[in-house]
Order: sequence, then structure tokens, then C-alpha cells
Amino acid sequence: MAGSPEWAPVALHCRSSYSFLRAASQPQELVQRAIELGYQALAITDECSLAGAVKAYVAARNSPLKLIIGSEFQFPELGCLVVLVQQHQGYAQLCSLITAARRRAAKGSYQLSSEQLLAASAQLSDCLLLWRPLSEKAFSDYYQVLQEAFPERLWLAYSRHYQANDALQYRRYRDYQQQSGIPVLAACEVYYHQPERQPLYDIMTAIRLGQALTEVVDQLLPNQQFCLRSSAELQRCYPMAWLTEASTLSQRCQFSMNELSYQYPAELVPAGRSADDYLRELTYAGVTQRFPAGIRGDVQEKLEKELGLIAQLGYAYFFLTIHDLVQFAQQRGILYQGRGSAANSVVCYCLQITAVNPDQIDVLFERFISVERDEPPDIDVDFEHHRREEIIQYIYQKYSRERAALAATVICYRLRSAFRDVGKALGFSEAELSYYMRHIDRRDQQLDWQQQLQQQLPQLAQTTRGRWLLQLTEQLRGMPRHLSQHVGGFVIAATSLTQLVPVENASMPERTVIQWDKDDIETLKLIKVDVLALGMLTALSKMFKLVAQFHHRQLDLASLPTDDPAVYEMLQKADSIGVFQVESRAQMNMLPRLKPARFYDLVVQIAIVRPGPIQGDMVHPYLRRRAGLEPVTYPSAEVQSVLERTLGVPIFQEQVIKLAMVAAGFSGGEADQLRRAMANWKSTGELRKFEQRLLDGMLARGYSADYSQRIYQQICGFGEYGFPESHSASFANLAYASAWMKCHYPAAFYCALLNSLPMGFYSAGQLIADANRHHIAVLPADIQSSDWHHQLIPLQAQLAIRLGLCIIKGLNGERCRVLLARRPQGGYQHLAQLRELGWSATELQQLAAADALNKLSGHRYQSQWQSMALTHQQLPLLAQLSEVETDDTPLARPLEYQDIAGDYGTTGLSLRRHPLALLRDQGRLKGCRSAAELPLLRHQQVLEVAGIVTCRQRPGTAGGVTFITLEDETGLINIVVWQTTARQFKQAYLTARLLRVRGILERHGEVIHIIAGRLSDASSELDQPLLTKRSRDFH
Amino acid sequence: MNAWLYVHAPQLLLDTQLALQTSAQQQQPQVLLAGSRVGARQVVQYNQAAAAAGIALHMAEVTATTLVAELQLRPYQVAHEQAILEQLAQLWYQDIAHIALYPPQGLLFEIASVLRLYGGFQGLLQQLQQRLQEWPIRYVVASGDTPLRARLLAQAGQSLLSNDADSVQQAVAQLPISASDLEPVHITRLQQVGITTIGALQQRHRSALGKRFGRAMTEYLARLNGELPMPQQYYQPPAQFAQQLDLLAEVSSWQQLLFPLRRLLQQLEAFLQARQLSVRALLLQVKHRDGQHTEQLIGFAHPVWQLKDMLGLTQLQLERQQLTQPALELALQAQRLEPRQPHHGDLVQASSEGAAPTQSLGELVSRLQARLGEQAVQIAQPQRDWRPQQVQQWQVWQAGTATAMAMPQLPRPLWLLTSEQAIDPQQWQLQWGPERLASGWWDDAPCQRDYYIAVDQQQRQGWIFHSEQGWFVHGWFT
Repeated sequence: MAGSPEWAPVALHCRSSYSFLRAASQPQELVQRAIELGYQALAITDECSLAGAVKAYVAARNSPLKLIIGSEFQFPELGCLVVLVQQHQGYAQLCSLITAARRRAAKGSYQLSSEQLLAASAQLSDCLLLWRPLSEKAFSDYYQVLQEAFPERLWLAYSRHYQANDALQYRRYRDYQQQSGIPVLAACEVYYHQPERQPLYDIMTAIRLGQALTEVVDQLLPNQQFCLRSSAELQRCYPMAWLTEASTLSQRCQFSMNELSYQYPAELVPAGRSADDYLRELTYAGVTQRFPAGIRGDVQEKLEKELGLIAQLGYAYFFLTIHDLVQFAQQRGILYQGRGSAANSVVCYCLQITAVNPDQIDVLFERFISVERDEPPDIDVDFEHHRREEIIQYIYQKYSRERAALAATVICYRLRSAFRDVGKALGFSEAELSYYMRHIDRRDQQLDWQQQLQQQLPQLAQTTRGRWLLQLTEQLRGMPRHLSQHVGGFVIAATSLTQLVPVENASMPERTVIQWDKDDIETLKLIKVDVLALGMLTALSKMFKLVAQFHHRQLDLASLPTDDPAVYEMLQKADSIGVFQVESRAQMNMLPRLKPARFYDLVVQIAIVRPGPIQGDMVHPYLRRRAGLEPVTYPSAEVQSVLERTLGVPIFQEQVIKLAMVAAGFSGGEADQLRRAMANWKSTGELRKFEQRLLDGMLARGYSADYSQRIYQQICGFGEYGFPESHSASFANLAYASAWMKCHYPAAFYCALLNSLPMGFYSAGQLIADANRHHIAVLPADIQSSDWHHQLIPLQAQLAIRLGLCIIKGLNGERCRVLLARRPQGGYQHLAQLRELGWSATELQQLAAADALNKLSGHRYQSQWQSMALTHQQLPLLAQLSEVETDDTPLARPLEYQDIAGDYGTTGLSLRRHPLALLRDQGRLKGCRSAAELPLLRHQQVLEVAGIVTCRQRPGTAGGVTFITLEDETGLINIVVWQTTARQFKQAYLTARLLRVRGILERHGEVIHIIAGRLSDASSELDQPLLTKRSRDFH
Repeated sequence: MNAWLYVHAPQLLLDTQLALQTSAQQQQPQVLLAGSRVGARQVVQYNQAAAAAGIALHMAEVTATTLVAELQLRPYQVAHEQAILEQLAQLWYQDIAHIALYPPQGLLFEIASVLRLYGGFQGLLQQLQQRLQEWPIRYVVASGDTPLRARLLAQAGQSLLSNDADSVQQAVAQLPISASDLEPVHITRLQQVGITTIGALQQRHRSALGKRFGRAMTEYLARLNGELPMPQQYYQPPAQFAQQLDLLAEVSSWQQLLFPLRRLLQQLEAFLQARQLSVRALLLQVKHRDGQHTEQLIGFAHPVWQLKDMLGLTQLQLERQQLTQPALELALQAQRLEPRQPHHGDLVQASSEGAAPTQSLGELVSRLQARLGEQAVQIAQPQRDWRPQQVQQWQVWQAGTATAMAMPQLPRPLWLLTSEQAIDPQQWQLQWGPERLASGWWDDAPCQRDYYIAVDQQQRQGWIFHSEQGWFVHGWFT
């Protein structure tokens, strides 16, 4: 048989990068190399994991290489065991074994003892075992029990890596076989696909051990033989009989991942009904609700087409599952909204999954499920962020933990983490590494990080260690580090999920994740339901409740009056603080220019202020065409059909895809590949493959080279930032809803927003300042009248906001709510009474410091002083007496600035005068204009302004420009700082809390900027009246 | 009245580091960072170049490095600073007997008695400053009628020097409450009720304060005002031994000095015995007629304290030395004093037959080094490395040299050649192999070799290898 032409090598024990720092090649690299070397089979056997299996499957599926599924386990008393899968049943058994071992241990580890393995041997009836005995003793102690437990399914795996004990090992294995009759086979231990990966593997070992490489040399492997070897090399190395034994074994492994078929949970369909029937029934029940005036012909047509598609592709269960979730949310009064491609369908609208009326946006959504792509639809459902947990618990209850788990996210090494870990392993100090890293600007488009370092620190690459640092960092980048949980993607199975994929513990208690990420799930066509959290839904839900309570009007997302001109008028003035998605500074600058006047404009508005359209240079052409300054033209009727709704300028990801199809002749499949390439073109450069194909296709269809090139550039610009229209439409729905609330019920709007913080963009103080500008009275937190949350209260025929005690830092909410329930009807009479009712001394001091005891015991100084005296008071009866102290004099009342400082210190905001108003009063801001004055000044006027820095923003797209927002007592001032100015006034630019800016006023319509010429740090002015306020810097 | 002086050196560690730098280096912006987590560290000390570039106290590391890209960062080490403070105390101990250490940056002097000696504050300060000529540190000095007052003033940067208790009290009263060293939580509480200066605190009734802040607060105020004493732990310089002896006649060789030296060593033995110390080096100094000195340093490989050991080893070392001029005076200084420690066992004891006395190897090496010089006695140190050429390295023998962990048992020849010799593989018959060693890619001596055990034509068993350069023999088994 030796050297026979039929013999081809097999690899039965290969760890991939999914053994996290225990192997140095990606699964696809192993597969690729095995194919090149003519292997007939390759087993991916990560340690207690199948996390790399799907990646390997994708790489191997159109090749002659047989992929064997398996996993490696280490036993301290036995040695190493590799479990290989024979048939489908074996696969399910292995999944269960891994799940059990993983679920017994904390995140990232597993627990499997030899007793547990032996006990589970009956549940491994369809698996084969390879054993590398730890020692002769381990062999003699265990061979009989293993043989009994795995009859005819146990092998001894001999490997030879040209080490000093080769001969000894060989003799041992021969003796083992003679002694026990267990067959020996040849199986190299493969930790990387080719010998060149040895340095990376060594570095990973050092990283894993948390020490410098030179400290752990004895734990490194002595040579680079732990790779896939050529057939000739294997024959030189092993007896042919042992090689053929391995080949024979591989014949017995017949399982392929494509046998896995996912079963939807079926309990949602009433007995005796088909899923498609039931879905149709539910949908049509929704039609009467959603279209009370009757459904339009073309909408009905679309509905039928969608139902047909769903039935054809068998996705009815998926829609029913999501419908079930949103039904639950509705019952519980939890606000939600669906988004994603399928979300903007008539079916979804009728099933109440989304609230975007397809009638309202007259748009063709091309990304809805298609027969051609045959891939699961993608629906994300956002829920109120405070209440998402209820939905998750519902899923666990309904389907049990056996059947539902979160998808995994593979956390990979990024430049910074790779650089740091490799550097430390090579023995560089922390200080050296941070010094090098400071010379890397990841926003640099021209030079990659290695070139930057070589240019700026040429001496680094002149040392051996420095060269390895550069090289190995690049190799380690993109290697998986660990599994984490997906933000909210649930996989739900018809029966036990662990028959399909191993499940392990997440870091959050009571959460479990499967070992596959979203790409794996997509590959195997499993269905993932995305249950996401969105703060704005919480806020809207609270707004609706307030409006119901105070205005007796029932509102919900679907029933808000549409296309209200007053709402758009407000937005056109950039009055959008607190409004979903259009409240950022960049959005506020765009609003007066784009002037949204109907719903679809908002969809565009949300998508256009994104790095994609900005880098693709689509913003200005769109604005010019919209303003009528440039004719709207199309190179062809096909292009017109795609781009008409955005005036000939591609804004959305879907349009780019569609363009590739109609203008360059891409098939649906190719266009889909293009979409994926766009999603990660920066990391793989895959997009280049499409360049020629696209340009040729467009030229052939008569488009100019210039136009084609522009489209290609736009695709590149979209890259990772492209925003899908379907998402934008869902967001626009919430943007409109929140704008509508701000316009018509501003008090409820601010109150609900304040109660939903943190929401990401504005702080409570900034929202309150905006409320004040809209003439909403805001009253301070007070022990006599405040609740825990902020509330609306009637005040002089209007509604005012009474701040809740939650605004006071450090108070315990649970306790306060209990204590507030005990507040006497007429309020408290004296300080000691609070003590008697259970408030602790610390809490009293916190309340006093925040001036919340003002009405009870005077100004904040005196209140605190008195409450401090209660600290050591044991007897409540004496407390009353102690309030009059004979040996003490009253404290002086705080000055205004001290009160303001006290407010900021305890609540982060003040309802008193703005600190800038004080400074201006005291003549300390001479020559500075206020924000309110700016609209009266002329374009190009030189002026000086001052304000507290509330935000420093340096968008990656803005080419070295920083936007700084200043706040004074009259409003916000937008400063533009060019890079040279920033450099010149670096200290003030980076660290000033109170900034004075001299510059030139620029006016574009209603948008006003100050182009900074000189920055000066005036923070010391604030230190007199001690004030500190934090800015949101460089996000 | 009691008079106290407090010296506060807020940049002690950095200033000391700067003193060791060239003036060009001193011009580089540099800071010391405190804080355990990378990314959460803050600037705690910075030089003038850094200040000029906008670096400020407590600035976050990330801000500082963004501001000054070339900023030199070093960790702040409190233990180092404390050691430096002790050196500072030692330096000034020559001038002032009562120094209390306030680590890591402060020294308190009791100066009532010395003030007259130096003719007032100016004289005293001049004297102190003179000691720092080689060691330019920045410090603030303040006086006070109580230790606490002097300290608070100096720590707050107020260099007030006055004998007048009232003006000291006035200055202290104006200090912000944050300059007191009350508990931070108390400071915050006081600030929150508008009590922002020490004076405002002193105006509150003590019992009202006691009720709110407990006894520690009232005691603190009492100490501040001198109503409660503040016992000080004064600095004690480390033990030293330095004695000298007039030689009654001129002596012209070291050998002749051994007899008088014996007397000095006897004193040293008594000194060491009383303090349970041992010594690692002696400095012998002889004075000549013309006032010149000759010095001879005697080092011991292991700590000694007995007369016979010290004398014997000294004698050995002096045998090789010549005295160029006759000596008139002999002085002995003990250097490197150490607490006595039980000896740890070492190689020879483990491998020698019977129970060799623990000290024998140390003694032997001491004698060998005494005769041959330190460099001549080396020990083979196995290294943890796969590369045979890296496995063994020679190091100067030092007491207590730890033996590194050796690599696992590998077939290695008894005799490893220092440099491998090229061979003709035709002349050799392979017996075993290969053992492939490919390691060390990370430094400048990577190794890629296949080793074999083979016999040559003389039937000698050798360790040979094949690499890109060809075939070589690297060692012999027989």
C-alpha cells in the first residue's frame, strides 16, 4: 500500500484560531492549505468548541476536501482526547457533550472530568475517540475502562514532531497496542497551517501565559513542525500502516454540516392549521385594523406578493415568531418598532411589527426577501430599553433555555489590542508601547499603520524585535480572542438547540450563547430574532402616558397625525434637541439646508448625514438639486427608476446595489456579494474584485467612464457606513414621532426624555436649558413635593416639570421610593421627622447638599449643617431638641455662585442663572458676544465669544476639523476649529472648560458658525466661583 | 516657645531624577504618572519644560500625551521617593538633630535650639541650601509655632518664616480647607456648608464640630493650635562604623598594618555583634606624611561578622597589594552593613558527599575571588532555551546566585564544544535522529538545526547537526 497512488493524507487533530490563543491559523487557512496539499479529509478539532466549524465548512464546501467535525478535550489524568463525529447523530452528541462541559464552568472555560466522560459514553455512541495518553501510568490506569466505554471506537493517536523523545514514544505506542489491542493511527497535532506561523504561535503562547516570550521559552514548542505536512513528509515520518489506519477512520466520518436543518418553533400555529394559512389569517385581521378605510389595490397586490414569497420560501414561522413577541409587548404596554429589510413590508405592517405605513412612503423595498437570494429575512425589533429584559424573559419562559439562546459575537484582535499584547510578549514596556502607539493615526487614509511607524520612528524597524512587533501585530489582527454575546440576536429552535450547536455561558448570569456568530447563522440558514433596546422608545412610551394623563388624549406610534406642517417647520429651524436621530450637531446643521417637508425627506435626512454619503460626495449634489440650483438628470431610464426618489443621487445602500444590477448588469447573487464586500471592504479589500466588473458592465451599457468611476467611488465611500433605506425609514418614523411630541406637547416631551436618560446625546442640563428656551418652567427637586422621577405638574394654567429626587447623585432609588411613600400628606414638619421616618443621615445630607431640604430647614448650608448633627443622634425624641443648638451660630447664606456650584456638584445642572450670566454681570467677559446676539450680526464679522465647552467633536470625515460647542446663558454657539488653529492653541483647544474664541462669523442661511482664529483658556474664571461641568469630548 | 520648620518638596522624585540628567535632557518635557490602571493615570510631578507646554497637575495621561506628543512618561514610585526623603534627612542631619519624616515629601525640623546657632531663619536656610548644591530640588519651607501649622503652610506653598505666633495663625486661617489634612470626606462636607477656610473652621464651636465630625476633628484643631502636643518620631541615621588609629611609627607595607588593623576589626566585631549585623565590604584608609590618602576596598563574597573571617580575608586581599608611601594613620570604615541572615544551601552542599559545612562554598569562593579577582570566579548557569548554544552561560559568581530552571531532560552530550566544527557526513554513521530544533526567532541568534547522534570512523559517538550551513559536530557522548 505504501506510496500507492490512492493514498491521500488526512489530518484528524487540528486546532484553529477558535481555540483562542492555542492555535495560530484561521479555519479557512487550514482548509485552504489542506486542499493545496491534496488531503482527502481534515478535522477541525478546537478545544471544547465548534466555534470555527462553520467557517471551515464555508471554506471547504465546494472542494473535494472532506471536513470532519470534532473537538479536543484535555484531561489532567488521562491526557488529550479528540472526539470525532461519524453521522448526524454523533454531531448532536458532540454538541450536547460540549454544552454540558461548558455550562458547568464560567464563561470561556469548560469542565469535563474523565468520570463525566465515561458516564456520557452511551451518549457518544456515534462518535470516534482519539487518545494521546499522558503517560504510561495514565495508559495502564485507563485503557480498559476507555476500551469498554468506547468499543471499536477508540484509537491511540501517535504524533511525531522530530523531538528528542520520538523513538521512545514510538516504542511506547507499539507496546500500548500490543498490550491492549487498541489500534494506533498517525495524527499530527496541527496548531497552524504552515511552518511560517511558528512565531505567531509562540507569541500567542506568551500572551496566553501573560509573560514575556523570553520568560516562557521552556513552554514553547521546540520547532515549527506543528503544521499541515505534505504527503511525502508524512510517509517519511510515520509507518504506512498507521497512516492508512487514519485514512480508514476518516472514511467512517460521513457527517456534513449541510445535513443540519433548522426547524422553526411550531407551537405558535394552532393544531390542524398550516403556518401559511395562519399567517394569512393574522395578516388579513391586521388589514382591517391598519386600513380601516379599505386597502388600496396596489398595496393589496404587494401584500399578496409578499405572502406568496413567504409561503414559497417557508418563512411563515419566522413571521409568526416575531408576531408573537410583539403581541406580548403590546399586552404589556411595551413600545417597540421593527426595522430591517423585511420590516418595511405590508405583511409586517399588518402584523403590527412595524408602524411605518407602506402607503405613506411610496417606495419599493428591494431588500425584502427574494427567491433568488434564498436567505432568511432580517427583522430587528427595537423595544423600550428599560423594558427589553421583560421580552427576553418571555422568550426564555416560552421556549425554555433548552431551545433559545443568544447568538455569539466573535471578539477579534484589533490593531491596538494586538499591538499591545504582541509588544508585551516581546518584552517592550508599557511606556514604549504607548509611545509608539501615539504615532499611529488610524484616520490616516494614505498610510497604513506600519508605514506610519516606519516613517516616523525608523529606528523601530531596525531592530529584530521591532520588526517582529510590526509583523506579528499584523498577523494577530483579526484573530479571534473570545466569544461574547450578540446585542440581542436570539436563536430559537423547534426542539433542543443543543442538538444543533453547542451552547455556553455568557458573562451575564443566566444568559447563554451559542458558539456561532451571525455569519455562521446566516450560512446555515438559521433564524435569528433580534431583540434590541432603544432609549427613544422608552421616552416615547412615557410621553404617550403623560399626554394621556394630562391631556386625556390616547396616542401611539401608528396614530400620530402624519405630515404635520408645524412639525416640519420646527425641524427646518433646527429646533431638534431631543428629537431622535436628528439632534446631533451635524444633523442640526443639515436641517435648515435640507428643509425636510414630508416624511420621505426625513428618511433622506437621517441617511445623508453619515460618513458614507459624505465620503462619497453625495451631500452637495443632493442639496443643490433639491434647492433647484442644478437640473435633475439621469443617464438612463433604468437609473432613473432607481434614483428618482433621491433626485438622481444615490443615498441609500439599496440604491447602490440596485444600480449595480440595472446599470452594470450584476445578477442578484453578485449584487448580494457586493453588499457583503461593502460591509467589510476595509478589512479585506474584497471590493476591488468588483471594480473592473462594475466599470466594464457600465461601459458596455453605454455609461460614460466618468459616471461609472463616480459610481464606483460612491460604492467605496459607502463602504462600511452605508445606511439602508429600510433602517432609515424606521428611524425616520421615530424621529417624526418625537418631533411631533416636541412640537405639540413640549412639557411631556422634556419630562419623558429626562426620565429616560441616559439617551446618548444630551445631558439633563442641556435638555432643561432647551426646555427653558421653549418657556417650559422647570422646578427644583424638593423633599416636600418631588417624586423619585421627574413629573409634570400644572402651574399657572400650564404644565411645568418638577425635577425628581433621581437627579441627585448618589441617592438609592429603591430606598427613596419606599421613603417617599411615607411622606406625610402635608409634607414634613421638621428635619428630625425625616430621620424618624427612615431617611438615613447620609441621605439627608445628600438631600440638603442638593438644596432639596430648602423649604424645611433653610438654605443648603444650614440644612446640611443641621442634618450632620443628626449623624450621632440615637434617640429620635432628642432629635427634635437638637435642632436648636446653644453652642452654635447659624451659617452664612451661600452666595449665588456658591449655590450654582452646589447645584452642579450634586445634580450636574442648575436651575439658577447660568455661570456665564454671572461672569458677564461682573464684567469678566468684556467684548464677548452672547449666543442670542449672533443672528443679528453680519456674515464675515470678526467677533469674540465665550462659553462653557459642552462638546468637542472631530468627525473622521471632516479632514482635521473639530467642532466645538460652547454654551452661554442665552444658547449654544458652534465653533469650527481648523487643524492649524487647534495646533497653535493646543492647550486651550484640548483642556479648556471655559473657552474664549476670537473668530469670524459665517452664516449659511440660518446656520451660524464661528471660524476660530484664536482660542484662549478662560477656565480660571470659573475657579473663582467654583464650577465644574463636564464636556463630551472627542467621540 | 517651640519653633518648627517644615520643608515640603512636591516634586522630590522627579527633581532627583532631573539632577542626574544632562542639561539637554532636563529640557525635555517629562512627567511622573500615578494611578494603577493604564489610561486612568494622572500627572503628579512635572518639570518646567512640561509646564511650559501646558501640562498641569492631575492632568489625565491621555490629555497630557495629546498635548505634548514627545512627553516622557515615568511611573511615580512612592517607595523611591520615600527612600530619597530619607537621604535628604540624612544630609540635613549634619545640621539639625531633630528631624521628623513626613513621607513621601515632607521633613519637619524642631529648630528652637538651632535657630540661635545659625543666627535666625536666613542663616539656617542658607545652611540647608548649601547642602543641596549638587541636588537642586524645589521645595517650600515654612515655620510655625506648632508642627501642624508649619506643615500646612509649607504644603500649601506659603513660605512664611516668622517667630510671631499671631501672624502664623493668621496665615493658616486663610488657607483653604482643602489644604488641611482632614479626611477628604470631611473636607467635602465642610466645603458643602460653605466652610471653605481653616479660619472659618476654627470659628465654629468645638462641641458643634465634635457632634458632627467626631473627636478626631476636635483633636486635630487642638493640635493645630498647640493645645495638644504632637509627639514626633525623630530620624535616626543608619548605623555606621568608622574608626581610626594613629600608628606610632611609620609603617611601610600592608602586611605590617595587619596588627593594628586587628584592633580595629575587634572593635568592628563588637559593633556588629551588638547590632546583629554583618558586613560585605571594608574600606581601609591610610594617611601619609604629606596629608595624602591611600584607600583600599576589601569586598567579601558573603556577609561576615567574625574577627577571624574578616582578618583572614583581608589578609588574603592585602597580600597582592603594595603600599607606595609609608603610613602614619589607619582608618577603617565598614561598608554595606546588612542584618544577619541564615544561609541558604547551595550547589556544593547538595552534591558533595557527607555534610559539608554550609559556609564552605561561600568561603571558598570568597578566598578564590580574594586571590584571583572577582571576575575570575564564574558559575555556569543553565538557561531556559531550546537552542543548545544558548542553554549554558557563564556568570560572575555571587552569593545566593539563583539557579535557573533547566530544560526538561533531553539527550545532550557530556562534552559540548564551545564552537561547532564542520564535518564530512560521509565519515559518520547516523544512529538516532533527527531532533529538530527551530527556535529563537525573536533574537539575533535563531537556530534551525536537525541534530543526530552518530558515530565517526573512530567509533566515537558524537552529537552532529545539519543546518543550512552544512554538517557540524557539536559535542561528544564518548
